[in-house]
Amino acid sequence: MRNNIAKGGNSMEMKILYLPHELIIQILLRLPVKSLIRFKCICKSWFSLISDPRFAKTHFELTTAHTDRILFITSTPEIRSIDLEASLNDDSAFTSPNLNFLLPRSYSDLEIKGSCRGFIVLCCSSNIYLWNPSTGVHKQIPLPPFGSNLDANYFFGFGYDHSKDDYLVVSMCDDPNSATFLSHLEFFSLRANTWKEIECTTSTHFPYMNACDDPRVGCLFNGAIYWMAFRHDISRNVIVGFDLMERKLLDLQFPDDFDHEPTNCGLWVYGEFLSLWAIDYYENDTVEIWVMKEYKVNSSWAKTLVLSIDDIPTQYFSPLCSTKSGDIIETDGVTGLVKYNNKGQLLEHRSYCNNASISEVALYSESLLSLPDANEQA
Amino acid sequence: MAQEASSSTSSKTISLKTGDGEIFEIEASAAKQMKTVQRLIDDLGDDITIPLHNVFSKELPKIIEYYKKDITGEITKDFEAEFVKDLNDDEVKVLFLAANYLDANKLFEFLSQNIADRLESKSVEYVRKYFGVENDFTPEEESKLREERAWSFRGIKEDE
Repeated sequence: MRNNIAKGGNSMEMKILYLPHELIIQILLRLPVKSLIRFKCICKSWFSLISDPRFAKTHFELTTAHTDRILFITSTPEIRSIDLEASLNDDSAFTSPNLNFLLPRSYSDLEIKGSCRGFIVLCCSSNIYLWNPSTGVHKQIPLPPFGSNLDANYFFGFGYDHSKDDYLVVSMCDDPNSATFLSHLEFFSLRANTWKEIECTTSTHFPYMNACDDPRVGCLFNGAIYWMAFRHDISRNVIVGFDLMERKLLDLQFPDDFDHEPTNCGLWVYGEFLSLWAIDYYENDTVEIWVMKEYKVNSSWAKTLVLSIDDIPTQYFSPLCSTKSGDIIETDGVTGLVKYNNKGQLLEHRSYCNNASISEVALYSESLLSLPDANEQA
Repeated sequence: MAQEASSSTSSKTISLKTGDGEIFEIEASAAKQMKTVQRLIDDLGDDITIPLHNVFSKELPKIIEYYKKDITGEITKDFEAEFVKDLNDDEVKVLFLAANYLDANKLFEFLSQNIADRLESKSVEYVRKYFGVENDFTPEEESKLREERAWSFRGIKEDE
């Protein structure tokens, strides 16, 4: 039993009550990342404790609702991280994570290609990095053997395998050495520290191609990474997923009456659901939001929201995430973010740069987590 | 005539004696929520006054108040907010230690979170004092650490 020393029944004199170590931990586990990073300065044992990967893991997994933030990079270049739940106009709590580990250069060729458990995947000058903006921890990972031309990668994603406590980077691309279309599915395991190809068991190569004109970041949902794909063997668009535990591909269907070109659509997570958004510029001038009410049940797709394009400030729609209260936050495509409520009504529109534009935006969680053999900083 | 079951806990009260000699009554069903108390009852019987050497007359009534609400299922966020509203940080710490000693899990978890909420925006100095922790960094080390994570000090008042 954990006994403490609580001396003094005399309430007039409050002596210092020392909390045993394991009780202090119970309190620390309930503090947000920012406070914990500051409290590393308290003393050496606290510094060790808070830096301990086991503490970070318990801390991250204790919170069912994580503090999520939005990171964006402007062409200035400026890097800013804001609180998802705060007003877009509230500047009191933004932070400016630094990317000093990257060689000094403009960030114009920097791309964010995924985010998971506090880590963001950055691709810059043909290099891939995993980076935790809250702690500064970063690690460079090697390029995929087949997909080494990151621009030709059409399926790229990042996720976590709970069963092995492992992070995976996934790449599917066209074989650069082949004249005909041949796809290669590869994944990088942080624990194995190596890329591995997954063979297609049903035919010589996987039948998936990018359904959009531009490469899209995979949508991480429920232990799988999803992309919109075109299956050339059945001539249909599907939503292809990579199951991070099984390390296998699976298909989901688009909704039945979904009449949009994938180029005008996107996958994202809306509240607890996998969701599709689609812009209809041609017929109705609307934006539709569909959710898959029952995961993996193709017939459960339902259209939940329709916005008029006229209600969208820049007529550009690309949702990032939803807040606890169901508001939608999206980029305006140029310099800022827009917030709508769950009925599609405009709440806020904030521009963050004057003579610049936002080049990359991503949602990430605050975490103290580190990677095997990464360079510790905070 | 049927005998009343002697283990009926619906209206039975237990007597608890604090470290400073005061006696408080608590319903047996509430006492069950405090595992330390329940263990003592199992060992000593429920007719004896249970001695709680490490809990005092200042805290015990408050803890009893919490579990009185708990057994009627009335603990709400509003009740919990009200419960700690007038307590200062040191008083909450005493209660937290008592909840730990009594192995009163629900109260312990609630107070852990409450203390974390109170400390979230506090300065390094305040937290050191609160836990009675000595700073074993040299001034140079500390200033380097602060500089490296300057962003985490933003908006924090240093003298609070």
